[in-house]
Amino acid sequence: MLVEERIFENAKLFPKKLAIIAGSAEVTYLELVHRILLAAKYYENSGLQKGDRVVVSASKCVDFVYAYFGAHIAGLICVPIDSETNPVRLQRIEDCAAPKLFVGELRNKGERNVIPFAEVSAEEEAEIKMPRPSDIADILFTTGTTGLPKGVSLSFFNQQAAAEHINAFVGNTADDVELLALPISHSFGLGRLRCVLSKGATIALLSSFASMKKFYAGLDLYNVTGFSMVPSSWNYIQKMSGAKLANYASRLKYIEIGSAFMPEAEKRKLMEMLPTTRICMHYGLTEASRSAFMSFHDDEAHLMSIGKSSPGRKIAIFSEKGEEVANGQEGELCVAGDHVCSAYWGQSEADFRKDFFGEFFRTGDWGYIDNDGYIYLKSRIKEIINVGGKKVSPVEVEEVLNAMDGITESACIGVKDDVMGEIVKAFIVGTLTETDDEAIKKYVMAHIENYKVPAIIEHIAELPKTTSGKLQRLMLK
Amino acid sequence: MDAKVRVIEIIAGVCEVTPEEITLESTIGDFPTWDSIGHLTILSQVEEAFNINFDPEEMMDLEDVSDIIKAVEEKL
Repeated sequence: MLVEERIFENAKLFPKKLAIIAGSAEVTYLELVHRILLAAKYYENSGLQKGDRVVVSASKCVDFVYAYFGAHIAGLICVPIDSETNPVRLQRIEDCAAPKLFVGELRNKGERNVIPFAEVSAEEEAEIKMPRPSDIADILFTTGTTGLPKGVSLSFFNQQAAAEHINAFVGNTADDVELLALPISHSFGLGRLRCVLSKGATIALLSSFASMKKFYAGLDLYNVTGFSMVPSSWNYIQKMSGAKLANYASRLKYIEIGSAFMPEAEKRKLMEMLPTTRICMHYGLTEASRSAFMSFHDDEAHLMSIGKSSPGRKIAIFSEKGEEVANGQEGELCVAGDHVCSAYWGQSEADFRKDFFGEFFRTGDWGYIDNDGYIYLKSRIKEIINVGGKKVSPVEVEEVLNAMDGITESACIGVKDDVMGEIVKAFIVGTLTETDDEAIKKYVMAHIENYKVPAIIEHIAELPKTTSGKLQRLMLK
Repeated sequence: MDAKVRVIEIIAGVCEVTPEEITLESTIGDFPTWDSIGHLTILSQVEEAFNINFDPEEMMDLEDVSDIIKAVEEKL
């Protein structure tokens, strides 16, 4: 059953059950499907046709949930984006997805006509028309290393497969109440929303982890049984509240942690604080959500692995020639399964298939599988920088830097940071010197989001390149 | 320069707004860039500017501008 079908089924089975809590708003399953159908009717009244794209700002509010699922029921393809998306990225997304409508709140909307959430409603409900499993549900734009974001097209079936699998591994039930503080413009947070609502559980939306007072108040007020986070959220929780989370050990049934490096000592600290909580960590990417899973307490002897491939998913290691290698040998991690994305929007099938070895999608990550089936990541081939859970394309920062007077060229990498996980370091070639560093940061800040601004700048004579002139960022690590 | 003015300057800088837009009640989430990363940046810049350190126990209570100013003044 599709995620949307399950939500409608839940509304029949327990109409008065709380589906969403957001501040003072409490929405039952019955109200949820009513509002979804009103949103769907709005799209229909606007003349949108099946398969049209609608860009929806993934704001953490109930209205987003209505606009999002309403688009699906109306047969539209949803393009959820961060409401803070910068103008260059927004333009690129628009060029690629060619949306018919923008909905929500976009800080950098420019001249675009963006329909406020409040208007995405109608006097009467739309007729319930469930999408076909093979239809594209969402296009999620990744942080492309080439500078051009890739539109990962996920079908309803991809999303159903992912949600069923995650719920099974994490052990979610309809009795759960989850606190969602992650952004929902990304695969992880949005996936949690689908998992909870398809299970008939309750999701409490919290704007972010930033206010620890609100986070703990939410845990108390809603009798939360689980939440999801990324390793940098854990660093933040500890820094801001010490060991307070341990007070919630008996009521927290589960935590799902997203894929980013987390030191073993931090994993053990969390395990000690929450000795009976099912702490799950996944490995995945937008193209192949949660391909592998581990549970800290169950897989204690393999804490530094990324777990095993999940049931129904296959992970294999391939050589550069595209041949599967034996256990213990290093190569590229490749994933197969019904959760793997259906296409890259706007790319031909032939081009999309270049990212595959047979049925296996190439993740770009390097590692090996041991004889017990545990997968170990050695490095990310892709050069995305992960600043506190937010993905930064080095190319995007370099483009801004290179446009500044006095900079000939630049290269950005991620360097380890105790709190953020990684921060951006820029290597700069040109006539500027250390005395210009503050001016460089200010210049970059004026063009892109704060977290993308290089925290460290190094001036060097030349950048490492291959003989064909391709920048080798990993040589700078 | 008194603590209040300097703290507001720091917060305005991180939030990418003018100091006039910051009030004593301004708090986490009031500006898009005052998220968890922004909050940590504010606290570390405040620590650096006044050469002080906040303990983890007190950090959780530092949420709005007046909390931060009060905590700084207590340490000076």
